[in-house]
Amino acid sequence: MSNVNATTFTIVVVLFVIVSGTGFLAARWRRAENMMHLDEWGLGGRGFGTFITWFLLGGDLYTAYTFIAVPALVFGSGSIGFYAVAYTIMVFPVVFIFLPRLWSVCRAHSYVTPADFIRGRYGSRGLALASALTGILALMPYIALQLVGIQAVLTVMGVGTSSTNTYVKDVPLFIAFLVLAFFTYVSGLRAPALIAFIKDTLIYLFVIVAVFYIPTRLGGWSHIFGTAQAHFASLSPTTHKPLGTFVPTSASVGSTQFDFASLALGSAVALFLYPHAITGTLAARRRSVVKRNMIYLPMYSVLLALIALFGYMAITDPTTAANVKKAGNAQLAVPYLFQHMFPSWFTGIAFAGIIIGALVPAAIMAIAAANLFTRNVFVEFFKQDASPALQTRMSQWVSLVVKLGALYFAVELPHTFSINLQLLGGVWILQLAPMLIGGLFTRWFHRWALLTGWLAGMAFGTIAAYNVSNATSSHWAGASDIELGHSIYIGLSAVIINLVVAVVLTPVLRAAKVPEGTDETLPHQYTADPEEAPARAPAGVTAQLD
Amino acid sequence: MTQATTRSRSAIAAHPAISAAIAILVAADIFFALYTPIYARLTPKLGDFPFMYWYLLIFMPITSLALWLAMQLQKTLTRDVSTGDVSTVDASGSEDVR
Repeated sequence: MSNVNATTFTIVVVLFVIVSGTGFLAARWRRAENMMHLDEWGLGGRGFGTFITWFLLGGDLYTAYTFIAVPALVFGSGSIGFYAVAYTIMVFPVVFIFLPRLWSVCRAHSYVTPADFIRGRYGSRGLALASALTGILALMPYIALQLVGIQAVLTVMGVGTSSTNTYVKDVPLFIAFLVLAFFTYVSGLRAPALIAFIKDTLIYLFVIVAVFYIPTRLGGWSHIFGTAQAHFASLSPTTHKPLGTFVPTSASVGSTQFDFASLALGSAVALFLYPHAITGTLAARRRSVVKRNMIYLPMYSVLLALIALFGYMAITDPTTAANVKKAGNAQLAVPYLFQHMFPSWFTGIAFAGIIIGALVPAAIMAIAAANLFTRNVFVEFFKQDASPALQTRMSQWVSLVVKLGALYFAVELPHTFSINLQLLGGVWILQLAPMLIGGLFTRWFHRWALLTGWLAGMAFGTIAAYNVSNATSSHWAGASDIELGHSIYIGLSAVIINLVVAVVLTPVLRAAKVPEGTDETLPHQYTADPEEAPARAPAGVTAQLD
Repeated sequence: MTQATTRSRSAIAAHPAISAAIAILVAADIFFALYTPIYARLTPKLGDFPFMYWYLLIFMPITSLALWLAMQLQKTLTRDVSTGDVSTVDASGSEDVR
């Protein structure tokens, strides 16, 4: 702890304390009569308007992925990292198509989780269980990514012990995480919703200042782009290939354009299949709130694009580039850049922004995973008559367990590029696309065909991702592999296999007269927009029909 | 239930041009970000920004605008229908097939 800058450290600690206090006090914000209900703890009362939803979803979707992982990939590999920019452009038109329908049907039936919907739509407990477990699994590496982000900032701050044991070295990370776990337990979704206001203020502040100030220190944008272009054209001393690309290439061998597009599309479709994104959506008061947010949220994407450019700034600044190289960890690019460019008090604000920016989504993810477990595993298979209070208590405890699981992912998986953690989660969550997005528009698919397709997609995706290796790790080292001569995002190839299996098996099963299950949803419920939030108690998972 | 389906269908049938416009707005948004050969290039530059970098930045407010337009069009589509708003893909014709 010898080289810790006192000013930076103090500011980070003070802001962290303010945020933690807000997290605990959030339990009193928009207080309901009975907090021991999943609609309250898990969905903040289902009453958020456009303004709060914008902050909540923004806080939910723009995470350590945005602040640490994307610029790290840009720093290390160049233009391929900008797939994230194309992805955040595409994601809003993509979800504009299906998200309002999901909101409406979930409101009509008081569904709390996406798996509740699957169960109601297909009358299949097995399919709902598969989707719930997929959601929980996919969230683990995504929460782990948040931890890696916090870790990167703490490392650059010089906080931490010098022990070689990972678990001992990261004591400050665990402290931050414990605080997060406790305020999530107490306040539920209200905590991240309220903290999101502080988070966004800090982030907008430091990004805008950085985008205007840092180029003046580095000889202007022209010099930044020029240095990056030259850097990625130079050959690696070990592989004798270019270090990266400055724009995606179209060469027949090693084309990165196809990879770029498949990563962007896969991520765009995946985002609102994630339980935490759906949780943030279901907390909205009206259908129009969801739609308006698709229009306002791209403002955050501008931020993401600017943050991605920090990767090029880090290459241009010799001190930062040398520091990152010495540490051998591209995740440190943005923290080192800020530390070298800004006065220490402003570095403190930026670092606090990144840490809080990772804690908010981590809280929502843990809540979403906990809701899934409670509703679709515990109540469904173990205690059908669980009271709302018991369900809430269960979710509170599971949210703690989920965070421990994520901690394991964060420590055990290689994170040369932490972005792979998010892409791995994407490989799994994308396998819900046929049943969830498909189910919002059609009941054509047979439930067992969907289940088989899901199994095929999960198996292919997991094995393919496990087999990706690079110079430093033999497994889990990336999210793209070569299929039919093109480098493509594994999530996308897996979901195509998934869909083909489901499409082929559906007519077969139907011809064999395998029971289809009952559909409890009605066509008009997919476009309904109830004036009043129906605060009816969900009677277990078996929600009653209207 | 049948009544509601018929109603949203008739809204589309009554305004085929508006429905098509909504579908095109949303599809174009996706296409111009997805089809990399359009923008994987260095020139023309805007200021110091190579083409790809300013193209992607400028595309974001355009996405917002296009979706806003789509939402306004959806409102006209459903003005004479009392069931509230109809989502884009209702507008492009797919509805529950069962």
